[in-house]
Amino acid sequence: MSAVIPRHRVNVLTGIKSARLVEDPAEYADLIKKAKRPLLVVGPLLLASTAEGKVLMQYALDIAKAANIPICATAQTRGKMVELGVEPQCAYDVVEIINALKDPNWHGVKKEGNHDLVIFFGIRSDLGNQGLSTLKHFAPHLKTMTLCKYYFPHASYSLPNFKKDAKWQEFLEGLIANLQKGE
Amino acid sequence: MAQVKEISRKLEEIHKKIKAEIPWEPVGPTPMPEIPDLRQWDMRLMKTYAPFYAPFCDLCCFCTYGKCDLSEGRRGACGIDIATQQARFVLMACLMGCSAHAAHGGHILEFLIERYGPDKKIDLGTSIDVEAPNIRTVVGLKPETLGDLQIALEYVFKEIGHLLDSTHTGQEGSALDYESKALHASMLDHVGMEVADIAQIVGFGYPTSVADTPIIELGWGAIDKTKPVILVSGHNPATSTVLIDYLREHNLEDQVEVCGLCCTALETTRYSSKAKIVGPLSRALFFMRTGVADVIMTDEQCIRTDTPQEAAKAGSAMIACLDKAMYGLENATDYETDEIVRRMVDNKEQFAILDPAKAAEVAVKVAMRIAPERKKEWVTEEQAIELAKKCTNCKMCEQVCPNLFNIGGGVTEVAKGSFDLIRRQFLQCIGCGKCEQECPNNVPIFKIMQTAAGTETWKCRAGRGPVMDTEIRNVGAPITLGTIPGVIAIVGCSNYPDMDDIADMVEEFAKRKYIVVLTGCAAMAAGMKKDKDGLTVYEKYSPSFDAGGVVNIGSCVANAHISGAAIKIANIFAALPLRGNYEVMADYVLNRVGACGVAWGAYSQKAASIGTGFNRLGVPVVLGPHSSKYRRLYLSRKEDDDWRVMDARKREIVDTVEPAPEHLAYVCETKEKAMPMMAKLCIRRNDTPQGRAIKLNHYISLYKKYIGPGLPEDIHLFVRRDADIPLVYKKEVRAHLQQIGWQPREPVGLPTLIGTYPTKVPVDAVIH
Repeated sequence: MSAVIPRHRVNVLTGIKSARLVEDPAEYADLIKKAKRPLLVVGPLLLASTAEGKVLMQYALDIAKAANIPICATAQTRGKMVELGVEPQCAYDVVEIINALKDPNWHGVKKEGNHDLVIFFGIRSDLGNQGLSTLKHFAPHLKTMTLCKYYFPHASYSLPNFKKDAKWQEFLEGLIANLQKGE
Repeated sequence: MAQVKEISRKLEEIHKKIKAEIPWEPVGPTPMPEIPDLRQWDMRLMKTYAPFYAPFCDLCCFCTYGKCDLSEGRRGACGIDIATQQARFVLMACLMGCSAHAAHGGHILEFLIERYGPDKKIDLGTSIDVEAPNIRTVVGLKPETLGDLQIALEYVFKEIGHLLDSTHTGQEGSALDYESKALHASMLDHVGMEVADIAQIVGFGYPTSVADTPIIELGWGAIDKTKPVILVSGHNPATSTVLIDYLREHNLEDQVEVCGLCCTALETTRYSSKAKIVGPLSRALFFMRTGVADVIMTDEQCIRTDTPQEAAKAGSAMIACLDKAMYGLENATDYETDEIVRRMVDNKEQFAILDPAKAAEVAVKVAMRIAPERKKEWVTEEQAIELAKKCTNCKMCEQVCPNLFNIGGGVTEVAKGSFDLIRRQFLQCIGCGKCEQECPNNVPIFKIMQTAAGTETWKCRAGRGPVMDTEIRNVGAPITLGTIPGVIAIVGCSNYPDMDDIADMVEEFAKRKYIVVLTGCAAMAAGMKKDKDGLTVYEKYSPSFDAGGVVNIGSCVANAHISGAAIKIANIFAALPLRGNYEVMADYVLNRVGACGVAWGAYSQKAASIGTGFNRLGVPVVLGPHSSKYRRLYLSRKEDDDWRVMDARKREIVDTVEPAPEHLAYVCETKEKAMPMMAKLCIRRNDTPQGRAIKLNHYISLYKKYIGPGLPEDIHLFVRRDADIPLVYKKEVRAHLQQIGWQPREPVGLPTLIGTYPTKVPVDAVIH
């Protein structure tokens, strides 16, 4: 999906540079494992539950635990995380964390330096895609990835649009399993 | 030498235009400012609140050199980079907004001068002496007549020309300078809006110097369908007021139902309490498709561009009343009235009629002729269930919905006989119609939602215009000291994540004794929720500009009265001269007036310029999640930015540490995040310990209510001394501060940015 077309023939989603679409959870897991300082940014869409009653936030917590990734809680998500027994490393709103990530000299949420991979999960797609565009254009020092059920054209790596939630959940479970393999 | 001569010639001309010889106040440093005159103030603001860009796409496609790829640090063929291109877009959006309001003002002014002459006196009643705080501050003119308002508008139009020029390819090369120009355009917008609303109040006799304006019926259930129904839509009330006049003159006011959409509805109800408000822009397509309106009259701005097609489909007659939107229709302005009526009734033709009197007469006659034949009714639940059975829940509607609703889920629930989900979705729907357009099975989603909408009615208070000087005198001290915790201005359009959010925000802050002011579609949405006793916020709270008041100021153009109120606090309460003295006014507002704008559903370019105008005046604005599509925010980074100010009393620069206010233009994803942010953005460096403790009490309690247990992560930045800690959280906050090694610091006596950047304004100018 990344642009291989001639420059004068643009794609309609971003113009030139659009996200690489990844459908294989093992490939996604490898990308995460390769990162030196990943960060998981969680948003309020994770407060909803699956048809089976599982809180979506639990997927985020499982991913973070499996890959040892610090979490940034946006909007009102911190409350739910605390309820589930996890205190996030930091709580910024989505535009605030993106604003900090833009700065290559930012200390990062663990004070170990800025992050090299930022995974967004649960941010509404219009706001999320605009924020990813900010990072695409003004943070060349990092890559971005999304875990939501929609395609995010401005990310570096994105999942496709899932028509069935079950398929998306299957992907997330596959990702967790692949991350756990490397533990 | 030639340059000096040119400057003094220009100044002489300006002094002539603003009648500088009339000594109501000394003329300040920037009467009728041009692009560079307030640039230093903008640059100072942006030093702390840097522009944050979120480009829609990687390209620029403005000229024939392109399309140019601006990704990965590339520049376009003209040399522009991605940040500067975004700022250029922002300026163009702000110019569109500013032009819309100023041209609206220009049209109204022309109409009223034609009717009353240029010497008609401006009189806003016994409680308003500072009638035009924006015009006085920016232009330096004290307008006494309609003719004086023209002087202000001529200045605005001249500046718009220069600003628009700068957006041409191969001009400005700095994002910051484009931003400064956007701030300039948006400041001018508040002048244009003020001209428009003052002219309307004077010319149409709208309420003024009164708080307790009538309570108006809201919702299409309030419309008496047994009568001929005329729908007015848009923003410019020239036609709708003449329509009301015509009905009154012919004793028809009780026989013909007049209802409105968007700001024209607000304007019309300021003129006649018998008129009804259908709702905000998000209800336009729904209502048009009911076919209940016998005649639809459009004027300008935020009217659907497919109104002729939708009207024709619904069987409504249609008249375009202003040159801004003529829809390709035949211009019948010079035709005989009876001939137009005949062709509209017999041939179902639509016309543009630019003479308000003729348009009004035609509308009434056509409505009365065709209403008896009208057979439109709401869809029944039984019919909706049958219509919904065509839905296969393929999710195409969800893919195009700006709010990402599972509309197919709602429709399939209807097919099973349950309307709960679709009712919820109707409340959240922005009414764009994309879902229905995309549906491969042609499910009439809007008709099905009409059933969900039912015929519920609500209440809205009629817009009251400017905040009174007497009110400013009462609240000036408590606002600047912080004991009234803030002014929350909820403004703008109806592109909400959820319409209920507005009423919830009003309720939350009014009960906490903030002053809540509203305009435009937000003012309607506030009334569209009832409590358990069936009351709306307008019925529950005082209409006064005072602690716990809920005040409908009016339509979009009435936003100038909100910025005007902030200026009046500096001028009337603090006795700082305002004439041509913008920097001092803005500095006062930024540092001392705890106000926060909320444009939760902003969608339009007008909303962009209104908000950016507030930003230049030092008022932070919280935006809803869609507003990330405006491409630019103004954000600080609280731990790293420069929070130094000049203490004007001690004449020394002090590092306050506190980010107050933290941001100038900020997007929140959810109402839950917005609530504590709104409280936080009302914190000012000038707060007394008592005022700060009250503000922090609300910030902490809203955080606990909406975000979660514990304390806000940045609470230490806002506690200067122990006395700032609210009593109810004393123990918890003290323990936290001790844990992180917090040290007390002295509050600043008289905080100002003047003196911290190069400006011609002396520090003395901020001391009252």
